[in-house]
This record gives sequence, structure tokens and C-alpha cells, in this order.
Amino acid sequence: MTSTPRYNGIINLAALATFALIPYVLAALTGQPDPNLTGLARWHSAAESVYCEKGLTPTGVILMVETTLFAAALLVTQWTQGATRLGAMGNALKQDGGYMLALLVLIVIPFVIAWGTDSSICIRGKAFFWESVFIDVFVLAILAISYNLMFGFSGVVSFGHAAFFGMGAYSVGLLMHHLAWPWWLAVIGSLLIGVVIALVKGVIGLRIKGLYFALFTLAFAQVFYLLAGNRLLTDITGAEDGFTFAVPDWLNATKNRLFFYYLALVIFVLAFFLVRRLMNSPTGKVLSALRDNESRAQMLGYNVFHFKLIAIVLAGLLATGAGVLRGIVLKGASPEVLSLSYTFDPLLMTIIGGQGTFAGPVIGAFGLHLIEETLRDTVLTIGGVEIKIGERWALILGVMFILIVLVFPYGIVGTWRLQWQKWKAAQRK
Amino acid sequence: MATSPAPQLRTSFFRQALITSGLFVLGLIVVNFIFFKPGTVAVVLLSGLYQGLLFFLVAAGMSIVFGLLDVLNLAQGSFFMLGAYSGFAIYGALPEGTPVEIRFIAALIGATLVGGGLGALTEAILLRPLYARPVFQIVLTFGLSTVIVEVVRALYGPAGLVPIEKPAALDTTFSVLGGQFETYRVFIIVVGFVLMVSISLLLQRTRLGIVIRAGVQDSQMVQALGINIRRIFTLVFALGTAVAALGGMTAAPFLGAYPSMGGDFLLTAIIVIVIGGMSSYEGTAIASVLVGLTRATTEQISLQYFNTPILASISILIFMVVVLLVRPTGLFGRE
Repeated sequence: MTSTPRYNGIINLAALATFALIPYVLAALTGQPDPNLTGLARWHSAAESVYCEKGLTPTGVILMVETTLFAAALLVTQWTQGATRLGAMGNALKQDGGYMLALLVLIVIPFVIAWGTDSSICIRGKAFFWESVFIDVFVLAILAISYNLMFGFSGVVSFGHAAFFGMGAYSVGLLMHHLAWPWWLAVIGSLLIGVVIALVKGVIGLRIKGLYFALFTLAFAQVFYLLAGNRLLTDITGAEDGFTFAVPDWLNATKNRLFFYYLALVIFVLAFFLVRRLMNSPTGKVLSALRDNESRAQMLGYNVFHFKLIAIVLAGLLATGAGVLRGIVLKGASPEVLSLSYTFDPLLMTIIGGQGTFAGPVIGAFGLHLIEETLRDTVLTIGGVEIKIGERWALILGVMFILIVLVFPYGIVGTWRLQWQKWKAAQRK
Repeated sequence: MATSPAPQLRTSFFRQALITSGLFVLGLIVVNFIFFKPGTVAVVLLSGLYQGLLFFLVAAGMSIVFGLLDVLNLAQGSFFMLGAYSGFAIYGALPEGTPVEIRFIAALIGATLVGGGLGALTEAILLRPLYARPVFQIVLTFGLSTVIVEVVRALYGPAGLVPIEKPAALDTTFSVLGGQFETYRVFIIVVGFVLMVSISLLLQRTRLGIVIRAGVQDSQMVQALGINIRRIFTLVFALGTAVAALGGMTAAPFLGAYPSMGGDFLLTAIIVIVIGGMSSYEGTAIASVLVGLTRATTEQISLQYFNTPILASISILIFMVVVLLVRPTGLFGRE
């Protein structure tokens, strides 16, 4: 063994970053730079001239080849005992290979879509549109991960997650628009506001037990929703219409979408690994203990209040981050981001994917949002009745809620894991 | 299952909560007299009662069901909305020339039956498999409410329907202390009080009521005594949804019917049962009146000073938070 497992994640991420950067560097070296620019901007324009072409670009080809190689390496380590022979790299692959492959696929996807639909990833078109869909998916996935941290891992049932999400979008906009703060200060300020909201919610709310706490959070979130939509604050929040604000060009998801795609992807991956790191730490173990048996954890001397507060603050921070990202993507905020659906959507995503699993909420978020976007314009005809999927999406979600709860209680990841364990147990016999 | 406190203890904190509520109502009335003219005070108090009793009709079922089944029924608001829509359907289905009075009474009975029937089906088919997983029941009832709202929206359109015709006898106004008030709203108050008292009598004075109250205390013990608690569960759930649907129908000649009306009432109903103490029927009854009066008073104040009803919603949220902080189990809830 050349490395301890705890560095495997970092080794893999570093390898992946190099992988992802090679095509960009090659594009920058071979492309036609804009002669009016100097320095880094000149390099970037050269790279752009290569990967902005329609259809299959050299950058895309290299990325696809890399992904295939990575998948092959992954299969080799899984099927043979290659892990020990390949050393640190093999160990890392064996441990996190699946996640890494998924990440690589996400890096490649814009290029694949551009290839498949013969459109450019930089100008309005199919690939451009799907980039924005995936940006939404990343935002929702962060929200679902954050919900799962409270609901799935720590057993804190809250119906007020929309407050964090919506306040993230609102505060980043308000700070930039009304106080003219620079973007980075506004982001930090919004995250701090999120932490303050979480602390207030936790310190006041955690005196209350169980379902009472869940309903308290519902009411707490509803206050923000009511205030944001009220006419009294029209000058500040724009009441029911919401308001728009300007963002720096490089953060503009309409102009600079591919960059924003990767930015959102990076933040999403960081959120994922942050929660995974947390849940594998001693603190995380205590959080799971609280979920499984609160009174026992208390008897063992753990301060239940402190640990629940940690869960709430971290989940609040992540959800606020998702909201900030959402606000910047839309370059605006309206009361809709504070509405109940941003509490119940992540809840649905979490239980569809599997509560208390790492990949579950992510799979839920990807599945739900991508299906919605794909089927948006589909019209089903059942027994002479035309059903437009886009219009009836809420109905489909409701039915899904019921079916998942009744027949699929552990979610996709949970059920799969159970079946896998059964199969393994049967093999051993 | 929580064990019941000693009888003496129960009456003492019960009396305390009762006195607190009484003082709160007195305070609200004083606030009313400070801010408004006598005519307005009468109208505000009456409309507070009217709102409160509508909330009660939604919350009553939720409270008893929560006590007995440990299920928070987030679909209760949709049953309220369904009641209003089935009222419309019945008005439309009766032949031309039927007097309004007969249509009205038929709609009241029909809505109650629709609510009760669908409630019984919901409990038997959807909730029964889930008694071991409480959080999932909440999720399920939320999904159910989405489905009901969306189906209604698909059938009747998103816009909502204009209020149905009231019987002529109720379609008048009268004046109290110089303020005008609709007779129909008084009718709603009367219906609410009649139901409040009859449910209370049902719980306190009948054999079924004894079983239900015992079930709230310890449902496993009741089952061990040879009573089919499952059937009681279905019955109570259906009773709750029937009352909510009846409430929706009573509100229909006044509020009309629109798909999101259930959601509006549900949130307030949740606040009512939390303030009252989740599983306490008396608590829910008293809290609904408190919440109604608070809402009406703050609504009038904020209309008068800010020209928007914003305080009405926010004040009851604050009310709930304050109650929870002072008594984490609600006014009449068991510790």
C-alpha cells in the first residue's frame, strides 16, 4: 500500500483536473487567437476558436477518448485485482472510480450534445440550451444534497428549506443591486445571511421537538415568502414580480455559458465531497447516531443540540449557496424561489434517490429535472384525452410522490444496495 | 406512546391554558376598541369568528387524526377545496328549476359524503401500509394533495369559479353597532359552532368517542382490548375529511372555488393545531377562534395603516412561534 485511503479522493481529483485541462491547453495552442487581445485573454480566444465550432471539435474528441480510457481503466481495476498492482492510483480508482467516471461524463456532455445535434456550445442552439438545463440540475442537486444532510443523515425533518434557497437568491441580488457590493462580497454576505438564518432557526427551533420543529420551520420559511411578495416592499424586492440585477460579464450565464456550466459543476462537486467528508468524519458519525437513536446518543454524552445545530448550519449554508447560484444564473429573484416547491422538490429528490445515501439525492435531482426537460413538449394521448406533459408536470410529481413512498421506500440507491447485499449473501451460501 | 399525566395535573394545566386563552381574547377585544370605532369592532370580531370557524373545520379532522393515527394529513386542505367544487358540481347536476334552498342542502350533504368517502378510501388504500413510517405518511399526504389540486385544475381550469348562489334567506346583510355584516357569514359561524359542539359531544359522550380518546392515549392497548382499531382509524379519518369538505362547501357561496384555496387554509389550519397542541381537540377548537380573531384584528390594523393585509398572515405565524417558545407542545398539548 503506497497511500492511505484518505488521500485517494485528492489524487483522483488532481488527475481528473489534469485530464480536463489537457484539451483546453491543446486548443489554446492550436487555435486562431484574436489579434486585438493580449495575455491570458488572447490564449482564451484561441481556445474558444477551436471548441466553439459546430459539431465535433478536436477538444471534444480528446475529452471523449479520455473518458473511454478512464472507463476502461475503471473496469480493469474492478474486474481484476489490479488495485494493488496499480498502486495509489489503482486504490483511488477502486474507491471512487464510479464518481470520477460520472464527473468525467459531466465534463464531456456539452461536447457530446454539440456533436449529436451539430450545434455549437457557445452560441444559441441545442447544446447551448442543454448547458443551461444542466446548470439548473447542478443547482437543484446541491439543494437536494443539503436537504439530505438534514433529513437523510441527521434525521432533522424540516419543511423550511426554501427559506435558505430563496434568501440566497434574494440577498445576493439585493446586495449587488441596492448596495452596489462587488460580486464576491455579495456572495460572502449572502452566505453569512444564510448562516444567521440557520442559527436563528436552530437556536429557537431546536427547543421544539419532532413534528413541531418541522412545522415551525414551515412557518418560518413562509414568513420570508410572504414578505418577499408583499406590496410594502415593492421598492426593494419588486413584490410579486421580483427584481433583476446586473452581474459581471464573466459570471453572466447567457454570455459565458460554458464557463458557468463548469463553475456550477465544480461547486456541485465540492458540495458533494464536503458532505461526504463530513459524514465520514467523527462529527458525521454522531449525526447518524442522532438519527438512529437520539436518546441513546444523548446518554452517551453527546450534546444533541450542538450536533443538530451543526447539521442545520451546514445544510443551510449549502442551500444558501445553491440559491446564490440560482440568483446569479437568472440575474434576478422573485418570490417563486421562496415558495414551498423548493422545500418539497428536494425532499422528493432525496427520497426518490434514497435518503441517507451520498449518490441518492444527486440521482434524484438529475433524474427528475432531466426527465421534466426532455418530456416538456411531449403530448401523450390516452383514450382520446390529450395530456401535455409540461402542463401536467405537477400532477406527475404528485403521483410519483405517492408511488415512491408506497412501493419504493428506500429510493433508487437504497433499494439497489439492499438487492446487492441480498445477492452477495446468497452467493456466499 | 406518551403516558397520560395524573388527572389532577391535567386539569390544572388545562385551566391555566384556558385562562391564558381567555385573557388573550380579552386583550384582543381591548386592542380592537383602542384602534377602531365600535361599528368596526363588531364587524372585526364577527369576521374573526367566521374565519376562525372555517379554520376549525379544516383543523378539527387534522387534530383528531394526528392524535389517533400519528399522521399529519397535509391533504386536508384539498378535501376542503374538493368540498367547494363538489358543491358546484351538485348545483350544476340538479335539474333546472330546483329551488336554491334544495340545491344548497343537497350540496351540503353531497359534499360531506364525497369528502367522507374519499377520506375513507385514502386511509384504507394509501395510508394503511405506512403506519410504521411516520415521516413518509406526511410525504404521501403532500403528494396526494398535489394530485387532487392538479386533477381539479385539469378538470375545471386554473381560474376558479364564481361563488354559487345562496338561499335567499341567507343572502342579506344586517347592521351591528353601525357596521354592516353579511348574514351568510353568521350562518358559517353557526355551522362551525354546531359542528364544534357535536364533535365534542361525540368524543365525550358516546362509546365511539371513548374508543377514540382511548386510542389517542394508547392505540395498541385499545386493540389489545379487542376493538378493531383499524376500522376506527378509517372512520375517524373519513370523519375528518368529511368535516373539511363540508367546510369547503359552506365557504363556496362566499369564497367561490379555486384550486389553491385548500393550500391557503391548510397553512393556517396547521398553525391552529400547533398552537392548540397537536392532538388536543379542545386545544384546536379554542386555538382556531384565537387565530381567527388575531387574523381579523391585525388584518384591519394593517389595512388601516399600511393599506395591505400583510400583518394578517405574519401575525399568526409570530403567534405560533411565541406559543411554541413558551410551551413547546402548544397551549393544550401534553408534555
